[in-house]
Amino acid sequence: MAHAAVVADIDPVAGRAPLIEGDPSFHDITEVVSAPMEWKPPLGWYIFLGVSLCFLGLFGFSIGWLFWEGTGIWGNNIPVAWAWPIVNFVFWVGIGHAGTLISAVLFLFRQKWRTSINRTAEAMTIFAVMCALVFPGIHIGRPWLPYWMFPIPNQMDMWPQFRSPLMWDVFAVSIYGTVSLLFWYIGLVPDLATARDRATTRTRQVIYGIFALGWRGSFRQWLHYEKAYLLLAGLATPLVLSVHSVVSFDFATAQLPGWHTTIFPPYFVAGAIFSGLAMVITLMVICRVIFKLEHVINMLHFDRMARLILLTGSLVGLAYSLEFFIAWYSGTEVELFAFLNRARGPFAWAYWIMVTCNVVVPQVFWFKKARTHIPTLFIASIFINIGMWFERFVIVVTSLHRDFLPSSWDYFTPTFWDFAFFAGSFGLFFTMFTLFVRFMPMVAMAEVKSVLPQAHVHNRPE
Amino acid sequence: MEHEISVSPEEISLPESWNKLPMIAGGVGLISLIASYMMGHGSQQFSFSYLTGFMYWLTLALGGLFFVLLHYLARSGWSVVVRRQAEHVMGTLPVFVLLFIPVALGMHDLYHWTHADAVAHDPLLQHKAPYLNETFFFIRAAFFFAVWTMLSMYFRSQSAQQDKSGDPDITQRLQTRSAPGMVLFAVTIMFASFDWLMSLEPHWFSTIFGVYIFAGCVVSIFAFLILLVLQLKGSGALTHIVTWEHFHDLGKLLFGFVVFWAYIGFSQFMLIWYANIPEETFWFDMRWDDPTWRWTSIFLAAGHFVVPFFFLITQWVKRQRLTLTLAALWMLFMHYVDIYWLVMPTLHHEAFQLSVLDFTCWLGIGGLFLAVLFSLMQRSTLIPVKDPRLQESLAFENP
Repeated sequence: MAHAAVVADIDPVAGRAPLIEGDPSFHDITEVVSAPMEWKPPLGWYIFLGVSLCFLGLFGFSIGWLFWEGTGIWGNNIPVAWAWPIVNFVFWVGIGHAGTLISAVLFLFRQKWRTSINRTAEAMTIFAVMCALVFPGIHIGRPWLPYWMFPIPNQMDMWPQFRSPLMWDVFAVSIYGTVSLLFWYIGLVPDLATARDRATTRTRQVIYGIFALGWRGSFRQWLHYEKAYLLLAGLATPLVLSVHSVVSFDFATAQLPGWHTTIFPPYFVAGAIFSGLAMVITLMVICRVIFKLEHVINMLHFDRMARLILLTGSLVGLAYSLEFFIAWYSGTEVELFAFLNRARGPFAWAYWIMVTCNVVVPQVFWFKKARTHIPTLFIASIFINIGMWFERFVIVVTSLHRDFLPSSWDYFTPTFWDFAFFAGSFGLFFTMFTLFVRFMPMVAMAEVKSVLPQAHVHNRPE
Repeated sequence: MEHEISVSPEEISLPESWNKLPMIAGGVGLISLIASYMMGHGSQQFSFSYLTGFMYWLTLALGGLFFVLLHYLARSGWSVVVRRQAEHVMGTLPVFVLLFIPVALGMHDLYHWTHADAVAHDPLLQHKAPYLNETFFFIRAAFFFAVWTMLSMYFRSQSAQQDKSGDPDITQRLQTRSAPGMVLFAVTIMFASFDWLMSLEPHWFSTIFGVYIFAGCVVSIFAFLILLVLQLKGSGALTHIVTWEHFHDLGKLLFGFVVFWAYIGFSQFMLIWYANIPEETFWFDMRWDDPTWRWTSIFLAAGHFVVPFFFLITQWVKRQRLTLTLAALWMLFMHYVDIYWLVMPTLHHEAFQLSVLDFTCWLGIGGLFLAVLFSLMQRSTLIPVKDPRLQESLAFENP
């Protein structure tokens, strides 16, 4: 079988496997990546966009209803005062981690396979951060006063409460969003110039032209571009760690058992990268087929992402075990209770979904067959997405629902509107993503060309 | 590849001037240890000083193990020319079984939870007794040493075998086995940190503690590798093999893990400080209430992070012999301060107090560590001569 032959040599011991299959020329790459922007979109694209827009509409309507009626439409209530909205926020921020990991961290580590997937992963990051920001935005109680969160001089002498971790979130996530956007855009400039030069209509030429910033591909421009890219990668790398660390501070600075544990920052970061990579796999498995990019995004790329998933999934598993061990070791009754309650209490079903999806499922990636088998990758990535949503649910809800006062213990039940907000956020995400694949080059053409063998005159190993 | 880069045999064998080093280091080590024992045996100070020195060199050796595992796990190419030195560093791990004996003998001085009368009056220690008891402590220690010895011997012997046979399958095999190796490494280093350092204060607990120790391991191995290879180059070996491109990368990784150490250290401190729960904060209070300990803490934060951060961030520092040597020496010094800061407040909680034993124990264990390291270096070439990725590493240039 041809498939087996391809799989066999993605890990040669001598030399390195070619990153792009089929030995395409530079022009072939331009053609295959530009095609989706220049096609008349297939019917399926319109259907998918339509469905996404419906869900986006549901999101808009839900937000309207929330503003009209108030937060009582959610299942949130004492003792579970923080529930799905914050779970969704952390879920989406987590998804948004893979983009910067792939574009910045893997760039610094000279992992050249990243070039095939970094554009889409970064786009995914930005859309995920947008989805994430909606939730705290609408959950602040007085949604018409969000500017109070920014240190803007005003006549009331109001100043943000810098001691609150929620304030740190505002800064961490908005810095992350800004830098991710900049990073994405810098990388896009040469490709937008390609789109401009290939434009067949005046409108396309002008719009792509504006965003291409007068790119001509001169030596000097490339020099500046590569320096800017390296600097941004250096700046973005600490951000990969900082965003989710700060998100974890929301919980870990509290004294609540189940929230207050010192491993939260690195454990959240590992979990975020884990979920983000799973989402990249989910999206890529579909996109590469629809847009005929199978040779650009091939088994080698899936193999590498699956390895990273196995690594981060195992780190998450280790963190779960350490938490449990220290909960017992600490000798603090409430601490141990909180953890036993997770595993055996009324929300045990959620806990075991989390453990199964996040710790057990990724173990299939010990096997190369699983790492290079599309159905397995797809199913596992879906399970991981589910598991990581449940992880945040377990952390938030099970820690709260049985608090220090047994008389106020309660079971949390979501309402229709909780589901509507969550489904609606997917509407926003997929609307943005559907538009992205139609109007933007979804693979970084210039970067992929730089990893083709003919880009290296001396043919040095990469 | 258009042409092979050839390697001359003189460059890859240990310089003559290094041949006496195992004797010298071993002699100094032995004398220091004997002197330490004569000066301090039976005293608590000796046990604590010894533990500090032991953990200092052990974390370095474990850093070597991590470097080798990571090299295979990531299928690295650039680091082939420095890997052999990391293999030698981890090759010292079996010796730590012997070096652990004084820790085991001194455990009543070190670990409060080993006192039956203390446990009898302490419900918390009773609760922890299923984990913190001497039998299980030794079973775990045996497990840790078994894992480390097994991993280091296996990876070293396979690599040595490849020097003879040049079999590329060995690389393939080690790549596959580095993954479970990494899992074992992670689990053992977490629990070894809990056992040997965190349980010095048996009431205290922190889930991130093992990660903090791990961060220190990685900082120390990069600093040590830089220093060792620079010295080899200074003696005329590896001249055309390890270039400034490799040092630049080692420097970048050193810088990266200096930041990682600070990130983990800050996370641990900030979360405990912010939540302000007395059963956790007392551990930091021990390092803060007394002014001498407070200055030690400040010195640690400044010297292990702030100063090296600004120093190492520029490119030229990582590509000059003098500056890189300074940075590496400084980080190795700060690593000692870090371990000292973790261990000593349990003994000298009233005030920071240096002892001559701190120095002699460190020197003694270090002397033996270096003696083993140098004699391992004598027995093989300085680079894995038949590694399939050797050419890639030799030709390596930073993009």
